[in-house]
Amino acid sequence: MSETADIVVIGGGIIGSSVAYYLAKLLGISTRIVICDRGPIAGATSASCMGHLMVTPDNAQEYALTKTSVDLWRGLHEDLGGFDYNPTGALYLAETDEDQEMIPVLHKQFADNGDQADVLDQKQVREIEPGLADDIPGALFYSGDGVVLPMLAAGAMLRGAQARNPNVIVRANCAVKGIERDGDGISAVVTEHSVIATKTVVNACGIWTPDIGDMLGQSRIPIYPRAGNLAITGHHVSPIRTQLLEISYLRFAHATSGVDPTKTDADSGGHAVNMQPQTNGGCLIGSTRQFRGRNKEVNRDLLRRSLQRAQRYVPGIAQAPIVRTWVGLRPYSIDNHPLIGPWDPVPGFWIAAGHEGLGISMAPVTGLLIAQQIAGMTPSVNVAPYLPARFVS
Amino acid sequence: MSDDRTIEADVGVVGAGPGGMAAATKLAAAGLRVVVLDEGQRAGGQIYRQLPNGTNGHGLMAEPPSHDQGHELIKSFEKQTERNVELIHGATVWDAQPGRLWFEHEGASRLLRCRHMVLAPGAYDRCIPFPGWTLPGVMTAGALQVMIRGFGVVPGKRALVVGSGPLLLPTVTSLLGAGVEVVAALEASSRWQALRALPAVALHAARRREAFWYLKQLSRARVKLQWGWTVFACEGDGRVQRAIIGKVDRSGRPRRGTERTIECDVVGAGFGLVPSIEIGLRLGVASQFAATRGGHYLVVDAEQRTAVATVFAVGEICGIGGAEVASAEGELAAASILREEGGAAIDPAVVARARSERRAADSMLRAFAPLPGLHELARPDTIVCRCEDITKLAAGQAAALHGESMRAIKVGCRAGMGPCQARICGPSLQAMATDNTACTMDLPVVQVPLKPVSSETILTAPE
Repeated sequence: MSETADIVVIGGGIIGSSVAYYLAKLLGISTRIVICDRGPIAGATSASCMGHLMVTPDNAQEYALTKTSVDLWRGLHEDLGGFDYNPTGALYLAETDEDQEMIPVLHKQFADNGDQADVLDQKQVREIEPGLADDIPGALFYSGDGVVLPMLAAGAMLRGAQARNPNVIVRANCAVKGIERDGDGISAVVTEHSVIATKTVVNACGIWTPDIGDMLGQSRIPIYPRAGNLAITGHHVSPIRTQLLEISYLRFAHATSGVDPTKTDADSGGHAVNMQPQTNGGCLIGSTRQFRGRNKEVNRDLLRRSLQRAQRYVPGIAQAPIVRTWVGLRPYSIDNHPLIGPWDPVPGFWIAAGHEGLGISMAPVTGLLIAQQIAGMTPSVNVAPYLPARFVS
Repeated sequence: MSDDRTIEADVGVVGAGPGGMAAATKLAAAGLRVVVLDEGQRAGGQIYRQLPNGTNGHGLMAEPPSHDQGHELIKSFEKQTERNVELIHGATVWDAQPGRLWFEHEGASRLLRCRHMVLAPGAYDRCIPFPGWTLPGVMTAGALQVMIRGFGVVPGKRALVVGSGPLLLPTVTSLLGAGVEVVAALEASSRWQALRALPAVALHAARRREAFWYLKQLSRARVKLQWGWTVFACEGDGRVQRAIIGKVDRSGRPRRGTERTIECDVVGAGFGLVPSIEIGLRLGVASQFAATRGGHYLVVDAEQRTAVATVFAVGEICGIGGAEVASAEGELAAASILREEGGAAIDPAVVARARSERRAADSMLRAFAPLPGLHELARPDTIVCRCEDITKLAAGQAAALHGESMRAIKVGCRAGMGPCQARICGPSLQAMATDNTACTMDLPVVQVPLKPVSSETILTAPE
């Protein structure tokens, strides 16, 4: 079978779904957009991650990106809904003196961006979150964060795209086998079911993004899987109602680890707990970080360290029934920043990937920035630091 | 780390139903130390369930002839528990590796180390969603048996029994034994479909006796088995007060226009059983699918050995077959283990008995293959996943967008992601969301814990 499309989006996870949504929103309804995924839509990383909408204030650039995106999430909730959007805010919890010293630093980072977070003492922390242990010395509360269910959000965005543009075609279980070239550019995407003639391809394959890049004979796109172990409780047992993070999370989660991600047996892994109340009364517990290839077996030792940290902050979680534990693979880019933009050596080839643990937070802004660039519009956020060109050798 | 929470045995057995009891009894009689882990409060499993005091709790409740064998089995098993068998009841097995079984018991996280293991975890009920199936008072045949036989509870005054297959009859007699009026017993298969089971029953002396006994009980209580009928919907204010029943065609599809209303306060639905294979999959055992064996089941060789060294499997986990199959296979697994331990060669009669019981069960159950048309009982707004409150419509929409696999339906609407981990909705969900008339389903992806246990149990598990 052969067909044509103006744009083919490869990867039906949260990023590909967002790209499709904003393409449908910004381009005319005569634009034919095909989204292919080799498995279920939102069935890989987007179905095995946490749903944290996180504003990161470390620097002005990343603040603009995450803040814009989290604001877009609120709009998506109003426009589309159906994905358990829950603006819980986030409590950054301190345990040690070193943690305590991080509170004013983080507070100042929010303030420097013109935003606001509240410094809480031992008593105030418990007022906000009675489920916490009574010896938490202090915390920072940021009200702008939230939680969503990513796989439902991907479905909502694709349905939203189809509602705006009947020429948006979604193909689950449709693996891409190759990409045909026309000179430097692209002429077609070959899937297991059809050949789709197109000049524009968006590669939004998360940890599999390099595999698609390889089909074009380009230097390897530097994205590597970074495993997280997670656990979820049954319903109606969550002792907490606010999203919790150890403030020490910031020391390791969004920093490069110093470990070579290509060596899959060298990383002993790190952990810092992040706990999210679910709208069904359950509690999602994460999260660890470890490079070990595409291995999806739970690392018991790291999982236990997460549970231990969870119990240290929320003693009531100890007796909560755990119904499932699993591993999700985050797409870590070698410089810890996502790739959002064109891959210059191949005109018409775009990359939207490599968000590691911020893929859910950054999904809307990523889709918007890709759609704006493809449509020839001025990007809403300075996209220069995220252009894939930095990896073109 | 080894401490008093870790126990050692020559053989670990999962499940104290007929398969597990038969294996444990024979192994222990030969001098091996056996530890049996079971979720129930007494030995017997689902079929020979007893109250904590060892009775069925309802005075002179009549028992079918096969229960004599069951009581014999329990008696010899319990005799061994005074010697070489330790039965740990109330144990939830939540993870397994060859040679190791992790379980939660009385709030403690424990580990059983064993040189061999026998998997005999049994089965769970196949649920067919219909409007009103989530009303209080509507339950599975298995749940009714637990209430009546395991807790001595009388579930109501007027019961309707619906479903398909051999489980209907014991559900009716348990209700009668508990003093409940059975207002109707509806078998969805037609008389002609069920007749295909006749040769298998007629040629099997014990099953023949059993069938006559059940039919006598029904006739004595003036309960007529209605073939080709089932429940279309249950209604009531806060609990079931009446059921709409009607005729179905040969594929189980409801024939609208045949409806009748019947007053009742209990509905027992027994649409067959599904093998509980999660522990086998976790251990890496291969599986096969056959609708007439209840779905996916574990593959074993002619001596109940799985392809994973030291792991044996017996009874329903190898395909639905009933108590006679389970006890015969349990005995065979024990003989295989004893030979591996340097004992005598396996008695060919033990092998022959296990094979002939399995053949007889297969040919009987062929008559009661799942009826795909029953999936049309649910309306678009009927809840199909009760953990997450997902309707049939939402599951169908998830399949349409996310893909027609079990995984896709789960991620597309959360169905099957709750505490039951798709044990209740799974067997029907995929067929229902994708109009799959073969009633196939993807192999479940097994994640730890196999059953919910506390965070503390996982955190403090002995290694």
